[in-house]
Amino acid sequence: MPHHPTAYRDPKLPSDRVLPGDESWTEMLKAFDAPAANALIAFARTICPHDGLGDGPYRRTVAKLDDVAQANPEKAALLAELVQRIDGAMPLPFVELSEAFRVEILKDIEGSAAFSMAQRTVVLFLYDDLEVWQAFGYEGASVQHGGFVNRGFNDLDWLPEPPEGV
Amino acid sequence: MTQFSLDDDTVTVVVGSGAGGGTIAHELARRDISVVLLEAGRHMTADDFVNDEMAAYDMLSWLDKRDASGSWRVAKDHPDVPVWHCKGVGGTTLHWSGCCYRLTEDEMRARSVFGDIPGTTLIDWPITLEELEPWYDKAEKKMGVTRTNGLPPLPPNNNFKVMYAGAKALGYDSVSTGRHAINAVPYDGRPASQQDGFTICGDKVGARWSTQNVEIPKALATGKLDLRPESRAVYVEHDETGRASAVLYVDSEGVTHRQKARTVVLAGNCVETSRLLLHSTSARFPNGLANGWGHVGRHYLRHVVQTVWSVFDKPVYMHRGEIMAGYLDEFATHDPSRGFAGGYYVELNSMGLPSMAGLLEPGWWGRDFAQVVEQYANIAGLFMSGEDMPQADNRITLTDRSDAFGVPVANIHYSNHPNDVLMRNHGYKTMRAIHAAAGAKRSIETPPYPATHNLGSNRMAARAEDGVLDGNGRAHEVDNLFIADGSNFATGGAVNPTLTIVALAMRQAAFIEGQMAAGAL
Repeated sequence: MPHHPTAYRDPKLPSDRVLPGDESWTEMLKAFDAPAANALIAFARTICPHDGLGDGPYRRTVAKLDDVAQANPEKAALLAELVQRIDGAMPLPFVELSEAFRVEILKDIEGSAAFSMAQRTVVLFLYDDLEVWQAFGYEGASVQHGGFVNRGFNDLDWLPEPPEGV
Repeated sequence: MTQFSLDDDTVTVVVGSGAGGGTIAHELARRDISVVLLEAGRHMTADDFVNDEMAAYDMLSWLDKRDASGSWRVAKDHPDVPVWHCKGVGGTTLHWSGCCYRLTEDEMRARSVFGDIPGTTLIDWPITLEELEPWYDKAEKKMGVTRTNGLPPLPPNNNFKVMYAGAKALGYDSVSTGRHAINAVPYDGRPASQQDGFTICGDKVGARWSTQNVEIPKALATGKLDLRPESRAVYVEHDETGRASAVLYVDSEGVTHRQKARTVVLAGNCVETSRLLLHSTSARFPNGLANGWGHVGRHYLRHVVQTVWSVFDKPVYMHRGEIMAGYLDEFATHDPSRGFAGGYYVELNSMGLPSMAGLLEPGWWGRDFAQVVEQYANIAGLFMSGEDMPQADNRITLTDRSDAFGVPVANIHYSNHPNDVLMRNHGYKTMRAIHAAAGAKRSIETPPYPATHNLGSNRMAARAEDGVLDGNGRAHEVDNLFIADGSNFATGGAVNPTLTIVALAMRQAAFIEGQMAAGAL
């Protein structure tokens, strides 16, 4: 991936959470057991497949889904339904399937409320992650550094410079 | 802190503290008129604001439940939040991007200029551009609009450089950074923009005019404003003569109060102002206050707005700098040869990664989606704002479910008129062409997202049978009831509406003062 400037979260907000680097990360989850969590990771990786990203952002996304499921019984039921449907569609669990089979399953359930809620929520959470911002070149909060007025707001140099006062 | 008694029936009660309500509260207070300003949201200041799209969205947005229906894409993609406005002292000026453009003479004579378009309820404005121009002048001075009163323009940012190169290549010579109520140099005690890219998240720096950072502090300093945050208006009462006499509101403790009033000004944005009137039924107004002709909530407009994102070979970093600092007006005039009525403006648009990914094409997933999103650094954005056609059934109504305050939840119904579809199509093609001319590899046509330009649902009209309000924004049926938000627009025009809302509110304050001095209010 290209090298981008450092991304920052607003210093007034909590930092993105730190999860264990190994498989034990699922132990902190309340709404999902390990198989469900891993199915949701595979779901998120199929919805938003970024081969250059490690597991960290996807795990944090599922940890936020776990928060949602704990707080909202209606959404918890939809997420449970999603896991059941994607894990039950083939003779192997979703996480064991190749990408083509995973995509085929998701296309089948694309119109369902469970898929729609899970897809929208994964997009919301995954791209609101500092590690993802850094990877894709979104620098995030800037006011604590005086904005971009002296940090490149007009540094694009591959097109002609507009005239003064335009 | 100034406090007026609940029984003080000499006060003007203003509901809502955004562009219309916050402005008129100040304009009345500085004329020595006592004002009680009811704001549903909290009183937040620069210390509270954050540089974070999602946290700011949760902090500032009006997130109470709404319903949506109609053929518009928003009803499918954003069924719970079909409109996007703010809750907090400052209203939607906490969120606005600072664009300040005037309506044109043609737009204010839409029915005469566009003709009889089937399915529309077009009217001419009951006031002329000439009548409004002095108030535009005053509003621009108040707000410190760039390129007016000797103020310099905002400087070009990276995203603008892309727009500029493409526009010039196609001969669109009007392209400029546009006019904004955002300081390029210090003005009125506020600093210049730091180009932090978070103007719409409350604007921590304060370079952009808002009622939160300009009008309300100045109004409080007069000693004539009693500001009551976390005060949710739920009902407007009238007396036996049919004049508005009090506003019922619920405070943060859940206690209901009755504030008596000499004059009432509603400015809660389209949905809330319409909802409040529809809910304020009585024997005299069985269909809602000021709704004898049935126009309250109707003719709802939200502009033809949409975005194009394009991927380039090299970095843009569009998140750096003022987000909408780019403008061209080649398509702003009414030109029937294009096959549709009305015009549109092309403006700059940028978003951070979280918003762009979420709004790019709701429901889109998989390799192709991910491949676009991960090129975020190389993406540039354009936006269009165009005139949509008023239709009687595009409207705000009450559902049969009530909210926590006992007021029915609103439904927003909107379907595109064929004219809107033709304009959308034209606009997408124009925006793609501009980016292609600058070297775009690929463009994504993003569907409309929750409406921020909410207009027309309690419109001004010369005749009571055509609209709720007269040319001073006063209810035809209730002569001490005014509306100061964008729901008072007779038609939508094409441009971002805030400057016009402010100019109309300033004009309205002068009218109210005159009426009071003459003993008529």
